Order: sequence, then C-alpha cells, then structure tokens
Amino acid sequence: MTDINKIRNFSIIAHIDHGKSTLADRLLEYTGAVEKRDVDEQMLDNMELERERGITIKARAVRFEYKADDGETYSMNLIDTPGHVDFGYEVSRSLAACEGAVLIVDSTQGIQAQTLANAYLAVDHDLEILPVINKIDLPSADPEMVKREIEDIIGIPADEAPCISAKLGIGIKDVLEQIVKNVPAPKGDREKPLEALVFDSYYDSYKGVVVYIRVVNGRMRVGDRVRMMHTGAEFEIVELGTLSTFNLDKKEYLEAGEVGYFTASIKNIADTDVGDTVTLCDNPCDRPLPGFKKSQPMVYAGIYPADGSKYGDLKDALDKLRLNDSSFTYELETSVALGFGFRCGFLGLLHMEIIEERLEREFMLDLITTAPSVIYEIHKTNGEVVYIDNPTNYPDPAVIETACEPYVKATIITPTEYVGTIMQLCNDRRGEYLDMKYIDTNRAELHYLLPLNEIVYDFFDSLKSKSKGYASLDYEFKDYRPSRLSKLDILLNGDVVDALSFIVHSDRAYPRARRICEKLKDNIPRQLFETPVQAAIGGKIIARETVKAMRKDVLAKCYGGDITRKKKLLEKQKEGKKRMRTLGTVEVPQEAFMAVLKYDDE
Amino acid sequence: MTSKLSLYLHIPFCVKKCDYCAFYSLSGVTDDVKQEYFEALVRQLDFLETDREIQTIYLGGGTPPVLGVLRLCKLIEHIRTRFILSPDCEITVEVNPKTVDFNDLSALYISGANRLSVGVQSANDDILRSIGRIHSFSDAADCIRDAYRAGFKNVSADVIFALPSLTAETLKQTLELIMLTNVDHISAYSLQLEEGTPLYSRRGSLVLPDEECEEEQYELICDTLKSNRFSHYEVSSFAKPGFESRHNLNYWACGEYFGLGAGAHSFYKGKRFSTPQSVQDYISRSRISLLAPTDYDASPFQTDYDLYEESIMLGLRTSRGAVIPPEKRNAASRIASLGFGTFDGVTLRLNSKGFRVSNAVIAEILG
Repeated sequence: MTDINKIRNFSIIAHIDHGKSTLADRLLEYTGAVEKRDVDEQMLDNMELERERGITIKARAVRFEYKADDGETYSMNLIDTPGHVDFGYEVSRSLAACEGAVLIVDSTQGIQAQTLANAYLAVDHDLEILPVINKIDLPSADPEMVKREIEDIIGIPADEAPCISAKLGIGIKDVLEQIVKNVPAPKGDREKPLEALVFDSYYDSYKGVVVYIRVVNGRMRVGDRVRMMHTGAEFEIVELGTLSTFNLDKKEYLEAGEVGYFTASIKNIADTDVGDTVTLCDNPCDRPLPGFKKSQPMVYAGIYPADGSKYGDLKDALDKLRLNDSSFTYELETSVALGFGFRCGFLGLLHMEIIEERLEREFMLDLITTAPSVIYEIHKTNGEVVYIDNPTNYPDPAVIETACEPYVKATIITPTEYVGTIMQLCNDRRGEYLDMKYIDTNRAELHYLLPLNEIVYDFFDSLKSKSKGYASLDYEFKDYRPSRLSKLDILLNGDVVDALSFIVHSDRAYPRARRICEKLKDNIPRQLFETPVQAAIGGKIIARETVKAMRKDVLAKCYGGDITRKKKLLEKQKEGKKRMRTLGTVEVPQEAFMAVLKYDDE
Repeated sequence: MTSKLSLYLHIPFCVKKCDYCAFYSLSGVTDDVKQEYFEALVRQLDFLETDREIQTIYLGGGTPPVLGVLRLCKLIEHIRTRFILSPDCEITVEVNPKTVDFNDLSALYISGANRLSVGVQSANDDILRSIGRIHSFSDAADCIRDAYRAGFKNVSADVIFALPSLTAETLKQTLELIMLTNVDHISAYSLQLEEGTPLYSRRGSLVLPDEECEEEQYELICDTLKSNRFSHYEVSSFAKPGFESRHNLNYWACGEYFGLGAGAHSFYKGKRFSTPQSVQDYISRSRISLLAPTDYDASPFQTDYDLYEESIMLGLRTSRGAVIPPEKRNAASRIASLGFGTFDGVTLRLNSKGFRVSNAVIAEILG
C-alpha cells in the first residue's frame, strides 16, 4: 500500500512548443523510469501524428518513483494533457485528477494564449501552480522578464521558479524537488465508498477499453462490481494497476490518491466518458464528482471516400477510430453528388484534421471532405427549434423565425505591433470587440466574441500569417446568438451540387460566393464543353464564373509504332478520372472540394 | 492465309540532335559502328519468317541517311529479295533536308523507296536555328524538289507548331511556302517541351505560345490544309486524296508490324514488345542471335481488354473512327452532339474539332 502522503499527482501545462513533452521525457529519464537510450523521441506523445505536430492529442499518464533530498521515496503520477484548444474539456478532466501543475513558459517567448488558458484552468481546479522557465540555453532567453510576466499576469509568485533547459537536461532536479515540496499530497479517505474520476481511455483489442482513473476516495479491487455514474454502465473489474512508461503494472487494488487504470471487458468506449465517476455497485458514493460534461462536437463535416466504391472501407476505418475516441461522432449520410458517406462531428477543426489525417494515413483512404459547418439553432415559425449541422438540411427561409449561430469567446495574445491587423481580421470575421489588456510593453491580450462559423474556416491560419506566427489563440463556446444567415448553393452546369452548399452570414454571402466560384473555376479542369459555375441563394444567382471548354490536347508524335507513351497518357488520364467525381456531367477533382474550404483573404 | 505485315527499321543516328528532341538517337557515331549496326539490322531481318506479305516498310529515325544512303538502299533491296512484297508496297524513308542530295534521292528511289518524309518543321530560318535544326527552309524546299525530280510521287513534310516565338503569321507563311512545294502529305505536331532537352533547360527565356495560341495554330493548319484539298485523316496527319500514309494507318488499325533496330517497337503475333534503346546492346544481341521473333516470347500476349482499349485509343485518332461498345454509346452520342464528330450508333468518328481533344474523348470512352 502506498502512503497517501508520499503521492504527488501533477500535470505539465504549457503553450504549444514551450517544451512540455521534452520536460516530461527528462523527468522520466532523471528518475530512471526510462533509460536514456530508450528515449527515442518524446515518449508521452506516442502517436506518429502527435510527434509530427508536436502536440499531444490524447492525455497519457505515467507513474514513476523519485527519491527526494529529504530521503523519502515518492510515487509521482504525471498526467499529460492534450495541448490544443479543441480539447479544453479533456484538459480540465486531466487537471481534476491532479493536485498540482507545472506551468512551463518558454523564456524566449513569454506567456502565450494557451499558457494563460491552461493556467486559469489550473487555478479553477485549485491546483498548486509551479512555474518553470524553460529554454534558458537559448541566446534570446529572458528569464527575469518571464518571471515578472508570470507574477503580473497570472498573479502567482515566480521568484522560486526553476530556470531550466529541458532540452539539455538542466535544472530537472529542481523541478522534481519543487513538485515534492510544493504540490500537496492528495487528500482522500480510503475508507469511504469508491469515487474515481475517469480522465482518459483507449481501446485495446485484447483487454477491451482500458480506463485511466484517479481514485479520489475509497478503494478499487479486482473483482469489484463498479458502476459508471453518468452512463449507468456496470462492469466487473478484470484487471487494474498503475501506469509505467511502456506498460501497465498490474496490482491487486488501487486506493484514494492513486492514479491508475482498470479493464473490465468493456466493448464500447462510449460507456466510459471522460469525466465520469466510477463507484461500487453495492456501496456507491452519494453523488458523482463535479465537472462532468458530455463532450459535444462543435464542428461537422461530411466525409466521403474519393472513390465511391471504398465506402465500406471508410466505415470500417471510422468504426476503428471511434473505438479510441468517443468525442468524435459519425452517422451515415448520402449526397446526390458524392454518394454514400458520413456526417462526422468533431470537437474542433484540429480534431477534424487529425481524424482526416489518420483516416488517410493509417487506413490509406482518399477522402473528400465537405466544408466544415457549425451547428445552427433554427427557431421555426411553428415554434419548433431545430439544430442543423448539415447545410443540405437547412430549412426553407420562409419557415425560419430566427436563425442563431454559435459564438465563442476568443483570447488572442499578440505582439503589440500586430494588434491593428488582428483587430482588422477579427472585424472582418464579424468579431465583437470585448477588451484589450497590455501584458507588458510588447504584448497585448485581446478578447473578442467571434462566430464559430468564422473560425472554422481558416481563422487560425490567417491569424498566424498576419502576425508572422507570433499571435496565439484560445477560445471557448459562449452562446447562440440570432444572426442573418443564408444558405449558399453552388451550381455546376446548372445543377446544384449539394456537397458544396454552405451556410453563410448574409453580409458575407456575395464576396464568399464570388471567391468560391473563382476557386472552383481554377480547380475544375476544362471539360469538353463550357461549364458555368454559379452561386445562388434561394433561386437567385449571385455569382458566376465559367470553366472554358477544353481547347486542345497534347498532339505529340506517335513514333515508329511506339504507342507506350499514348498508353501511359491514357492510364494517367484514367487515374486522374478516378480522383474525380462526376457531378451531373461535370468532372470535379478532389482538390476543388478542398479549395473551397479556404478563404484566402487577398 | 496469314495477314499482311509492316516493317519498321529504326536508325537512331543523327548529324546533331535537335534541341527539342527527347527520342533515343546518337550523333557523332563512327562509320564502323554504322556498319556494325547495318549488319545487325540485316541479321535481324534474316531471323524473320518470310511467309508474310510485306505491305509497308518504313525507315525512320533518328535520321536514316546518317547510316549511309548506300546502306539504306542495301537494306531496302535486301528486304525486297528476301520477302514477298505487296505489289503496291509503300516504302518510306525519313530524311533531314541537309542529309541527302539529288543523287542520294535517286539511289533511294531506284532501290525501291517510293515515299519520302522530309523534316521541314518551319519555313522560318530564325526559328529553325533556334530549335537547333541543321538546315534552312531553302534546303528543305530543294530536297522536296529533288525528290520529285528523282522520281518520288509521294512526299510528306513534317511541320512543328507551337514553337517558341512562332506567331500565327509566321505559321501561315510556313504553310503557304510548303504548299508551293506541292507535297502530298503533311504531318503536323505541336512542340512538346521534354525534360532533359536543351530547349527545356532554356525554357525560362522562351516565348512559348499559350493554350489559346496553340489552339489557334492548330486550327490554322486544319483550315489551310483543308482549303488545299488535304483531308484531315488522323490527329496529326493530312493527305491529298490517296496519299494517306498506309504504314501509319496500319498502326492505328491495330495491324501487325515488326520493328527492327535499337529501341524499335513491334506488335507481332498478338504481342507488343520493343528492343532496348542501345545501339551497342543491339549489335551484341544480333551477334549472339538474340533478335529473332521467338526471343521476345517472354512478352505477354495482349489481353482482350488491351486490344479493345487500343482499338478505341488508336481508332479514334483517325477519321475511320472506332467501334463503340453498347455501354459507351451514350457517351459517344454526347461527344458527337458537342460537335466533336459523328456517331452512327456503332462507330464514332472524330472531326478536326474532336481530334484536338481526342485524349479527353478517349478517356471519356474508356474511363
């Protein structure tokens, strides 16, 4: 049994690229949880995609032991947090499993939007925050300035903050000592009925769902019958234990204060929602732990196989991904243009990109994705309220009393020189200015209310390009607000292409319509006949471009009976045709669908 | 009775390679090598069965006269003595204007050649120079005149359009000047900028015509030649009545041909195969008797689907058209209704407008 006073549960929180994963690796190395040679790259980020993007998509946890200067050996549980705004709720559940958070700040960049967002989250969860100044080995490091920022902006003392270089392994011990000294030991009563918080889970094909938990009160044993308080599902614990770097350490029981996992032959990951409370069936606790939210997709898009015959493969792939990610949803839909596919719901745009990339990479699928859509709340004249996640289902304007769209509160931190252009960007995207604070003489923190619809296109890319990469963004859902919305249809050769329809604010309809027609014109190859590309609202055409008729092909010499070149050309054309969708009589390549997803402000 | 056969003899030698050419051809080859290559061709001819009537012979390149006109004559005579030739056997020799004189042409004619294909390319000397041709237009005009004087009654001129700096006006002059030579046949190709060619490496400094110009030039060629009684019988070929290249028509009709020489292609007894593009390799193989038709036995037979695809792909290149299978007849009707040709319910025949987009049409039918 582990002495509860010798347990330290903590997270590392940071803005992207401030060194979270590197520090995690160093902590594991320093304490001997892994040999240096095992450290291939960053261990906590073990999905290929995560390593490439340098962000953690799913939470992970690991237990290691540390013999501190006071002579005692501590059981340390490091709970990693996903590093992107799309996963705010998942971050909050990981933090709820901890007593302290190591807040890393890059000493060359200072506080960024997600530094703040994460720090506030940690404060909300009453965590002890330990600031750590990283990357002091870099010439442009300014640790003193960053310390002042932390004190001024976040309002926590930073004079004790270790100045480290996670990359070079400098100052790692200081971090460990501070965790032992300053992060409180978990409180919890091991004699009370079981209360355990689910903060992550994944699907293992042998064990079923592996559920990551933090035991808050009581004790959990192999063979116990447990209930998930929110989903109501009941299971018998088959296996449980703690989490070591590369595998699961089986134990007989877990007690209050400990972090670990259990399996219970759970087939469906949806039975183990993040944030749910596990208790015993025959001796339940009074009420679930606070903070549970059913994670709700915010962004929807249609995903179709580029080759219509691959529909079955796509379904299998989605089934498999869903096993590990209950926050993403999908249901069958059909499009006149694209045939069978799925309407998928995502936590945000990054989440959507991750799912798309995994489908393409891990399952070798070629996809066509329709423009992402948020959920619109439509109040009909008959009093009915409907939620629309697919533009195709947008009701006839005649029956709409009020149309509402979701707004988010966005926090943008930027060097002051870009404030003007960023305010312009936010205004262009229908943002409502809330306030601005100067963090210091060089940086400002802007708050805007923005329609989510405006963010899901390429807001983040624009923000980055307009600030030379320096501005950072964080946002959270605010509310639904009445808006003037129109459904914009795209017609190719006179036929509406349902997969290209989208909902747009009425004031933005004309410029968007023109831009999309231009983009389609540029991305649709010349056809055998002249092809009009039109945009319409209701029956009214508001923009038009024309894809000219094909003029000529390659008229090359076919030499000495060598028809191999001709055959290759034919094969190439046939291959190209496979990547095209025939919409009515018009052949449209995948790229055309992609192109309309981007604004391109210029 | 077996069907007739065409022969293609490939001579991959040039005085100097043109700046746009990406075909396999060598320049600066010694006479010894040429002699060995000639002997290798003769040996390969001797491997061929003699039971097939030869309907057309084509000596192409490269630049065949660079092998030596005497050797070309010997090759033609060798074929005439060894094989049974159709009475109207078409025997074409391809020449560069600067590589043959009147005596050469007479010798070729006397040995049996009856069709000459002259690489004229353009009537503008600046353009000829800029693409690395070794002759002027007057060389070409002289060559054509000498060919007729030597007895040839069927002369074809090759023309390239969409050349750098070529304007519609210059092309018009070229066509007018070529018409004055009274040639019977024209092959017109658009310039392809191929990677690895000198022209390609200069592409940054070239004024290349855009798609519209290229289109305009092709139309100009079609119109000019039609008004001069040429029929547009294949994508790139125009002929006065009766002067269609029967050798090339055999390719488009999926007829059989045997190609001899380094890099030559064959469609023979149901198989398509080719010989490696190496003169040295070709010579060595011929010495160890590796070039008989049976040595290509490992090549796979064309499948029925291959044959079907080829019949469409090649058939649609010509005004004879291609027989369209029932499931593609809607597509064929649509293509005809767009003005690209005629469709009688069985055969789709493209017109000049359709030839322009023949690749897309073919992909439409076969896609």
